[in-house]
Amino acid sequence: MATFRLQGSKVLAVEMTGDAVRAKNGSMVAYDGQMAFKKMSGGGEGIRGMVTRRLTGEQMTMMEVKGQGTCYFADRASEINLVQLHGDKLYVESSNLLCTDGGLRTGTTFTGLRGGASGNGLFTTTVEGTGQAAITSDGTAVVLRVTPQYPLSVDPGAYIAHQGNLRQDFQSGVTFRTFLGEGGGEAFQIRFEGDGLVYVQPSERNTVGGDV
Amino acid sequence: MPFREINSKMVEATVTPGQKMFSQRGAMLAYRGDVSFTPNITGGQGGLASMIGRRVANEATPLMTVEGNGTVMFGHGGHHIQVVQLTGDTLYVEADRLLAFDGTLHQGTMFMGSQGGVMGMVRGQVTGQGLFTTTLGGHGAVAVMAHGGVIELPITPGRPVHVDPQAYVAHHGDVRNKLSTALGWRDMVGRGSGEAFQLELSGSGAVYVQASEEKL
Repeated sequence: MATFRLQGSKVLAVEMTGDAVRAKNGSMVAYDGQMAFKKMSGGGEGIRGMVTRRLTGEQMTMMEVKGQGTCYFADRASEINLVQLHGDKLYVESSNLLCTDGGLRTGTTFTGLRGGASGNGLFTTTVEGTGQAAITSDGTAVVLRVTPQYPLSVDPGAYIAHQGNLRQDFQSGVTFRTFLGEGGGEAFQIRFEGDGLVYVQPSERNTVGGDV
Repeated sequence: MPFREINSKMVEATVTPGQKMFSQRGAMLAYRGDVSFTPNITGGQGGLASMIGRRVANEATPLMTVEGNGTVMFGHGGHHIQVVQLTGDTLYVEADRLLAFDGTLHQGTMFMGSQGGVMGMVRGQVTGQGLFTTTLGGHGAVAVMAHGGVIELPITPGRPVHVDPQAYVAHHGDVRNKLSTALGWRDMVGRGSGEAFQLELSGSGAVYVQASEEKL
């Protein structure tokens, strides 16, 4: 199995011994040894996955990297976080997914109303299986634990990923003030309940909810 | 050792009388003491011939000479700065990535075609770096800019390193570089992995790679 290691906070080094990883298209910055790069149509999910991705707009261009040696990945100087999966599922925005172990499965899932407000569309990408994955964030991400006693509300623009057994629902704090243009800029939140981890970045994407 | 890193995006240099330094024009942030900055029309060292050489090669970045007695802080555009110590070897770097360097280093221009022949020229075109690159040799320190921090990868004989041309920053040592292509039919039909061209560096030395594929 490929080993993931962070070289600094912005470069991911993956050591491979003949196995494969999947990475965002064009994110390789350097490698030593022998490597082959191959674009995976539809994110390597077969015809069904390809069609789903086209329909849902949750597009993700990934490439398969296979070989022996060390391969270095980076994406526009964004911070990289490593996530270890033990048979559970990671939900991540496709634009934040940098690299996954070859043994992990990726797919798309419906997120409901949240997607519309976070500016990421109504669908999100899932990563499932056992192995490591690397996700990018704008600034160093914080990992927040959610327990049944302590639910968590997150700004849709700052949310990047979550894993574990979590239920999410969409919360709005729209009051009459919002309509007067006196909103606090925090009209929408995603509320997570259950047991798991949520990754939040210290930066907000431009969202519909951020304006009101 | 004239450069001291204050943080990842700022360096402080000490200048003493009789010791010159060159820096990119406008890169000074603050200074202490009695320091003068004079624009350098010839764009670096050497006489008129070197200036013409650099103009022709399009490797002429506006430089200034820093002289006097005191300390100067340099930084530019919020880019990360990497200080490279040279001990007799040569650093190959793009002129626009140079932030500041010791006056004791010799500056030169190298034609890519002389290393790697036609492929060297193709490399310059593909990477958008042009056909020439700047060389700095001798003993001293150089401050190089990069987007998003730099990692240093050692190159040892028999273990070449491949680098994405857009993420390449600089290299030093006895290194040969050539452009290697992995063009396949997939690239022709627009299904390329985005990694069709790579810079293959072999020999012994080190290469600096930035954590981003953005040019400065």
